[in-house]
Amino acid sequence: MIIAKIKPLEEIKTMLKDFRRVLNVGCAGCTAVCLAGGQREVDIMNTKLSLLFKEEGKLLEIEGFTVERQCEPQFLAELDSLVEEYEAVLSMACGAGVQFLAERFPETKVFPAVNTTFVGVNRDIGWYEERCQCCGECVLGITGGICPVTMCAKMLFNGPCGGAQDGHCEVDKNIPCAWVNIYKRLKAQGRLEQILTVFPAREWKNQVQGRLVLEEYQERYLNQIKEVMTR
Amino acid sequence: MENSQFYLFIRGPLLWVAFVIFIGGIIFRTLQFFRLTQKKPPLTYSPIKNHEERYGKSSTLGRKMQLLVELKNSFFGQNPVVALVTLFFHILLFIIPIFLLAHNLLWYESWGIKLLSFSESTGNILTIIFLTLALFLLLRRLVVAEIRALTGKADYFVWVITVAPFLTGLICYQQWFNYQISLMIHILCGEFMLIAITFTKLGHMIFFFLARFFVSSEYTLGPGTRIWK
Amino acid sequence: MKETLRAVNNKKFQKILDQKKERMKFLLSFCAHCGLCAESCPLYRNYRKPEYIPAYKAINSLGKIYKKKNNIDLKLLEEIKELIWKNCVLCGRCYCPLGIDIPGMIALARSICRSYGIYGVYPHSLGEPL
Repeated sequence: MIIAKIKPLEEIKTMLKDFRRVLNVGCAGCTAVCLAGGQREVDIMNTKLSLLFKEEGKLLEIEGFTVERQCEPQFLAELDSLVEEYEAVLSMACGAGVQFLAERFPETKVFPAVNTTFVGVNRDIGWYEERCQCCGECVLGITGGICPVTMCAKMLFNGPCGGAQDGHCEVDKNIPCAWVNIYKRLKAQGRLEQILTVFPAREWKNQVQGRLVLEEYQERYLNQIKEVMTR
Repeated sequence: MENSQFYLFIRGPLLWVAFVIFIGGIIFRTLQFFRLTQKKPPLTYSPIKNHEERYGKSSTLGRKMQLLVELKNSFFGQNPVVALVTLFFHILLFIIPIFLLAHNLLWYESWGIKLLSFSESTGNILTIIFLTLALFLLLRRLVVAEIRALTGKADYFVWVITVAPFLTGLICYQQWFNYQISLMIHILCGEFMLIAITFTKLGHMIFFFLARFFVSSEYTLGPGTRIWK
Repeated sequence: MKETLRAVNNKKFQKILDQKKERMKFLLSFCAHCGLCAESCPLYRNYRKPEYIPAYKAINSLGKIYKKKNNIDLKLLEEIKELIWKNCVLCGRCYCPLGIDIPGMIALARSICRSYGIYGVYPHSLGEPL
């Protein structure tokens, strides 16, 4: 799931300093689960910002509204009639949600309230760990469920670099060596020979904006494009 | 005498009223649907962009296998009995009134229209099958806990409205009771059902075609170019 | 301040409720109560109880809200809270043979509850609202 962290309050205050009526849009999806942008965070943020503004003798009318997910047009549609009543919108969704919101309301000034950090797991309440960097070519089946892109500091694919000490990375001794762990995992499962798989050089294609249309839906959208192109 | 006047009334003006309300209802509901939905905003760029190279090509099983797999995992595959019962129930619901000999004789008498018809025995058998399927559906509603949780008085009422024309039609044809009276009851049941379509959940007759064909969703049957406002 | 916030939201909500009223009543009226949506819900598949059937969730949440019209009280919203938050994850995969938009109905019910200060509760956290 996408993990995000609330921006420093001062930064948000600076973003909104010129506005008097702001709508704070929360997201009941990923950012709610990782305690960054749900309904409660919206309420708390509103209280904090109002207080901060008051301290400077300024009045801030900030109201909250939480939608299911900001990454779906159906749920963003709930904001259609609300947005125009405000000078600016603060979004507590992940980067994807903020952009979708900004795209839907191009004439509205949209500001992000959280920093989207990574795709990760919930180790415990408030404790998140990155596990995936969306490289698009998952090799977890071969590495026994440990991602060499995320867990290896050097993103090595063909075995350890040789600098590991006591099973920890030479870059930072708090990071366990991913390849030592891969070795241990595969050995315990009795498929150690997989570690000998040679991976060819990667093209690191995930540096360009990703777009995915499932095969079953391609025809539907191709037809719609044809309509648009022939107009 | 009274019977005859009453009969002329329900065979004539009241039938007109029923059809007008029925057709008017269809038009009203269709317009309402188009009012409550809007066309999807046009695409401004092509979404298909060399994703195969990046994310890998999905394997295809071939059309036939793909269809079989999808069928197996659809409602038909998981609950074949209920699916078939519902399917045939709906098919018969439509074809019995349309292709019944007795009805088509009336069309011919009134408007000179000649329509394809079932033989009388076929019509009889189909009606009996229909009534059996309807009974199955009622029992399902009474016995299966999940469906019972969804069921209200309206559902039983609508079941009666739907089954009544067919049951009374059968009674009429078989002449088990006074023919004149059973005929009039049959006509009234039929007209009542036609009128009820717009105002009850029977309107799903119209809604199905509109929603499944026009509204964009994972399960769209048609172009799916509209979304709910 | 929180009280007035809620009151302002409620006025807006009445507006949204009214705007969507025709569409929701349209959809609710055509639900044939056939129960075919059940198998498509991952939660129903796990627990096999009527409270997880998508149509049940929609009718007993949004349906009840619309039935009550202007007399929506917090008690009703508390009752439906479990139905639309615990029994539904809004994955949006419910299948209706008629094409009724069930996720939309549940999302609206959630919005209405939120505007009155009723939030869903995430199980593992200590009552932190979603």
